[in-house]
Amino acid sequence: MEEIDAGEIVSEAIKSGFDEAVSTSYKTLSSYVKISNSKIDSIVEKERAGASIFLTSRKRVFFTHIQELNSKALEAALAKAKKAIRSIKPKSDYYGIAQGPFRYDRKAASYDKGMEGYGEKELMDIAYGSLGSLKGRDQLAGMLHANFTESNLATSGGVNEQMKSSLARLSLRLFRNGFSNQDFAASKYLSGIKPGELANSMLETSKLSEKTGRISNGAYDVIYTPSPAGSLLSNVNSMFCISSIETGSPFSGKLSKKVGSKDLTIYDSGNDSRAIGSSPYDEEGHPTETTPVIKSGIAKQYLHNHSTAVKYKTQSTGNAGLVEPDPDAMIVEHKNKAGSLHDLIEKVDKGILVTNTWYTRFSNYLSGDFSTVPRDTTIYIEKGEPRFIIKQGAIGSFVGIRISENMIRMLHALEAVADDSRQSTSWDSEGSYYITPSILVRDSAITTA
Amino acid sequence: MREREDLFSAAEYALGVAEHLSPEYAEAFIEDSYSNSYALEQGRLNGSSYVREKGIRIRIIRKKRLYTFSSNDLSEGAIKRLLSRPVDFNGVNTEMSKEGIAKGDFKCSERGSIDDLDMLRELLSMDKALSRQKHVKFRNIYGGAGRTINYFINSEGSHIRQEVPGTMVFASIIVGNGKETRQRMLNYGTVGGIKEFEKLGIAEQLPEEAKKSFNVIEKGVSLPKQELSGIREVIISPEICGIAAHESVGHPNEADRVFGREAAQAGTSYLTKNTLGMMVGSREVTLVDKPDIEGANGFMLYDEEGVKGKEKIIIKNGRQNELLVNREYAKVLGRKSNGSARSDSFSNEPIVRMSNTYLEPGRYSIDDLEAEVKNGVLMESFTEWNIDDTRSFSRYQANEAYIIKNGRVGKPVKNFILESKTLDFWKAVRMRTKDFRLYAGSCGKGEPMQGVNVTMGGPYALLNFGGE
Repeated sequence: MEEIDAGEIVSEAIKSGFDEAVSTSYKTLSSYVKISNSKIDSIVEKERAGASIFLTSRKRVFFTHIQELNSKALEAALAKAKKAIRSIKPKSDYYGIAQGPFRYDRKAASYDKGMEGYGEKELMDIAYGSLGSLKGRDQLAGMLHANFTESNLATSGGVNEQMKSSLARLSLRLFRNGFSNQDFAASKYLSGIKPGELANSMLETSKLSEKTGRISNGAYDVIYTPSPAGSLLSNVNSMFCISSIETGSPFSGKLSKKVGSKDLTIYDSGNDSRAIGSSPYDEEGHPTETTPVIKSGIAKQYLHNHSTAVKYKTQSTGNAGLVEPDPDAMIVEHKNKAGSLHDLIEKVDKGILVTNTWYTRFSNYLSGDFSTVPRDTTIYIEKGEPRFIIKQGAIGSFVGIRISENMIRMLHALEAVADDSRQSTSWDSEGSYYITPSILVRDSAITTA
Repeated sequence: MREREDLFSAAEYALGVAEHLSPEYAEAFIEDSYSNSYALEQGRLNGSSYVREKGIRIRIIRKKRLYTFSSNDLSEGAIKRLLSRPVDFNGVNTEMSKEGIAKGDFKCSERGSIDDLDMLRELLSMDKALSRQKHVKFRNIYGGAGRTINYFINSEGSHIRQEVPGTMVFASIIVGNGKETRQRMLNYGTVGGIKEFEKLGIAEQLPEEAKKSFNVIEKGVSLPKQELSGIREVIISPEICGIAAHESVGHPNEADRVFGREAAQAGTSYLTKNTLGMMVGSREVTLVDKPDIEGANGFMLYDEEGVKGKEKIIIKNGRQNELLVNREYAKVLGRKSNGSARSDSFSNEPIVRMSNTYLEPGRYSIDDLEAEVKNGVLMESFTEWNIDDTRSFSRYQANEAYIIKNGRVGKPVKNFILESKTLDFWKAVRMRTKDFRLYAGSCGKGEPMQGVNVTMGGPYALLNFGGE
């Protein structure tokens, strides 16, 4: 049966009586090479194809999906959607999709041409490279992930665009002398993944101190390296989406008010070509932008798609999400640059260096209260010097401390950054990518085991 | 019927190609699922969807290396293309335990077809019930119903078809009085039909939960730090018992954590192969994982390696007793699998997972437990929790908790946090009630992250951290 594209899907949907239609058809290959106990453990490879279809009829909105890109599957899906959409209520505050045509900045569509049709061998070379950086009795675990996607977006608002995208991500976790270090490399380009550099950076962290010690409950300055800094701060961009603002965000009603350090600016960027996931257009074909959500400490802009922008009499920020706006990559900038990570450490009289966090949980999303757990090597700093690796008990790579924070307090207390800004991610925030330096946050509450 | 035959033919074709590639071991798993879902925000229908997906997963062990391939294209061409990709690599030797051949066609009990459930109407009635509570400031409810059918065949002759209908509802509620807010998140899920779903009584429960949280705001007290640190006796509810059983006992007893396979993802364990059998709790603690509880969110009969899901006594009278294992780790341990291999979709590899995990109930009433407490707290529900990588140090922040003085339950307390080491927590268990309850949840693990349906629970339990 002949294959259909997103344009044909949209055209058929409109012909069959829907007011609007948006479809993204895609073909994707994903690979995961797992490393455990210092060996390549296994490989998982996934092929997916299909098309998402967004339909509206008299303000009723409905999503469906087909996986076989042919007219028979489309006909069945549209018939089912027609029946289903009759039984649901109109979304009274829905104001339609973005109307093109648009002009796009094509730089955001950059991708790794070499990854088109990549094979397992190229991935194995990086995995072996990771293992080659091991020394002595060190143990290594990790995951190399690669993805190549071809997609076609078409809308009844006059958009029909094709795009290719790529991503590569390596996470490594090194176990050495009873401690662990984990870090992440992420790039649009397979050549951007340099396992030796990642392993060396973790080894440098593990060399900051060889002593161990315990700390007490109390207030400490906290330095977060890029991965945990981004993992925590990327919550800010989600909280600036208008749907979060409507349903309870610490930034609700805070536009034009001071919400952080005067030196801090946080962007949401859909079109920064460095960022994984960058694209010239959002899910409804509106051009993506780089939007300051916080500028010089002031809450500046909520994130919108076309419909929510009309509702609030503002402009779309290119963040569709058709049901609701989604954040893109987060970029953190700060005027107070201390220099290197070591220079940042020198600014701390009593504090800790956190290299990875997980289990970040909000006890109250509206107030911004949360706690998070440092997962890997965490170093106690005193009078500007790393003193010892924190270990509150004898078990394995156990750290045994917890940070209790409030997001707005954290932004106010974010006093300085290092000059080590890079793209990162973490296991705890899979699918989110951010470009951020190491950050220094004053006076966070720490509890210990 | 024709479609069913087509799916099974695709599985047989894939197995044939895979066996040719790898005589050591091959399996094919086909999944066909659909769901209708709706999202309500502040009473407004924000989105609705119908998604059906079919796909195949093929696993082979070739030269002792494990490969997993998946595709939502079931054509012969796609299967051949996938199985042309593997390259040899130096790595972990993977072998499967010897298991019996499993055959059968299984369907869980479904009282009232799930296809006849009007989930949107149910969600709107939940929302209406919540909207009547004037102190509810924000309410989001998301829910869905659907059905999954899967076929599993392997090169050893196993051949299983399973059909699982189910529902899920998630509600996020923020209550407030203008000065203070509290957040409550609730998960519900069933495996089965309309009757199983109706038994949950969600529309009645949500306003009650909102009222209880608001009561903490209105009548609760914040205890001074010194007084909080003096509390040694805590009665934990089935909800707290469940999250603790899941996080600090279930997860660290997953064999792939103990043996390091998940070290860069979901983490490690306080257990090692040398400390299996250690005491982790008081003799009051017997903790199990039982997959075949009808209606429960973590229900399953056979796992995704064709092994019958067995009851695992993870801790028996305080002592670590049995790990959760799949066939790979059963082979490592020289035993049979206990049927713990699960995935969230045909698209991902099956890994070691929990099902329905709980602390066994005891013989007391809640009154008996309260009567034992001189200066303590009754902790009914939590807002936030987290735990470290080795599962040794956890925290549960109370949503609803009450002061107990000399056996009498008093005012709500606003700022109680139960933060302790895992072994201290389970060794503090002194008494358990007969009352027992399971709570639905979605458990995340692996990379890519896989969320699978589980339940967790237990009785009310009295914990005494004073060592008496």
